[in-house]
Amino acid sequence: MADVILYFGSNADTMIATKALKDAGVAAKMIPKPAHVTSNANLCLSVDGGLESQAVGALGAAGVALGGVAK
Amino acid sequence: MKMSLRVRLLGTIVGAILLCFVISIVAARFTLQRDLRSQGQAQVTNGASAFGGYWDSRKDQIRLLVAQDAVADALRKALVSRNTKGLTDQLSNVARTSGLSFLTIVDANGRVVARANGPNGGSLATNPYVTRALTGETVSTAGVLSPADLAGEGLAPQATADIKDANGKVVSHLNQGLALVSAAPMSDANERTIGAIYGGVLMNHYYDIVDQSTHALGGSSALLEGDAIVASTILAPDGTRIVDQALPEAASVASGTPFDGAETVGGTEYLVHVDPILNDQNKAVGARWYGTPMAAINDIINHTTESLALWGLLAAIIALALAVPVVQRISNTIGQRSKQVSDAAKELGVAIVGSEVSGDHVAATKSAVEKSGALIDDMAKAGDPTGKVAQLKSLNEELTGDMFVIDTLSQEMSSRMTQAVARVHELNDVAGALDKLVTGEAN
Repeated sequence: MADVILYFGSNADTMIATKALKDAGVAAKMIPKPAHVTSNANLCLSVDGGLESQAVGALGAAGVALGGVAK
Repeated sequence: MKMSLRVRLLGTIVGAILLCFVISIVAARFTLQRDLRSQGQAQVTNGASAFGGYWDSRKDQIRLLVAQDAVADALRKALVSRNTKGLTDQLSNVARTSGLSFLTIVDANGRVVARANGPNGGSLATNPYVTRALTGETVSTAGVLSPADLAGEGLAPQATADIKDANGKVVSHLNQGLALVSAAPMSDANERTIGAIYGGVLMNHYYDIVDQSTHALGGSSALLEGDAIVASTILAPDGTRIVDQALPEAASVASGTPFDGAETVGGTEYLVHVDPILNDQNKAVGARWYGTPMAAINDIINHTTESLALWGLLAAIIALALAVPVVQRISNTIGQRSKQVSDAAKELGVAIVGSEVSGDHVAATKSAVEKSGALIDDMAKAGDPTGKVAQLKSLNEELTGDMFVIDTLSQEMSSRMTQAVARVHELNDVAGALDKLVTGEAN
């Protein structure tokens, strides 16, 4: 399944989200923000499409504000 | 002056204890002085009243003795028969057995018929007590006997004295005598006044009453004629009685007003009450002095103060013994926390430096990867027959992306570290302040 892009309001949130997903056992790769994604942050997370709901749940549980999801 | 937290805490505790201690002792001493002085004055006043009771009792006794003698048949018969020798013997016996200083019988004209002691003869026609007795009145009063009266009764040597001040300097000469006197008319079988009997006790250098008072009441007693002590149980430092000494403070009693207060006699301070001795005309003829040594009160005050001080000192030591470990524990805890903060700040400082250094290295690496990408682009333009350059370019692009991420993270961390630097400085300041508080010395 194609990867999905999770983006956040700031680079700091992206870093915290990375740690939260790692603690939740969800594999995520930090990548430069694609051009079509609109966000204040320069970084975002690339997650396997099959793990999207699990990743969003983990972030919600960790209290990390998700900026949005891009396909 | 720099002081450690330990010293400050202990100093505050010690200071608070000492302050309470001192205030308690001062308050206790003040209260004791006021209350005991008041209680002592009340006791002295009661003692003085009892002393007055002894005085009145003695006066009544003299009146009774003289009145009984006035109606004694033997004396009346001897007076009628003018048996001077027999009267003199009888009067001497009565006076000796009754404890009277003098006992005299006069005829209806006031001429002396017989005396218990002293030369016979003379006249008491002008003696106010005898004069009143010859009119039928029984007189009983305190009075001052003149030198002539004393000489007639052979009592002048007992009353005469030089009065000295507290320093032993003669300030006056006393030749009168304070006495309890009584006079009563003597009648024949037809109830006609044939004379009078006149007797009494001279109080100068007469110690029965003051000794009786002191034995029964404690304290010290004295009889004063004017401002001179004529009999007393007040002891001088050498153990002798203080008599024939002036007490200027008691002179005010001559106006008939009792005196209460402190008075120093013979080098000893007394709490005293002085009552005027009034004659039957309500005129002050002397004074009764009663006092207890102030040392008795001061001893209680000093003993109580010493006890308070001792127990207070013990309490202070116990409080300090309890406070020292507590203060020590607090100081140690703060000291340990201070060291933890200090160590943490140092470690954070190392991390900040490492972050800054690694950030520089990441930037350099990113630059190298970008240069490598440019070189691969140039190689691709020259041709890629094996497709290896395209693979290399793809790999380099992935590497460039990672380097972007790493560089961005590094910059983010650098920004955070800048804030952390400020926090570390604050932590260092806190640690320094804690150290200074605990040890009293700047790092």
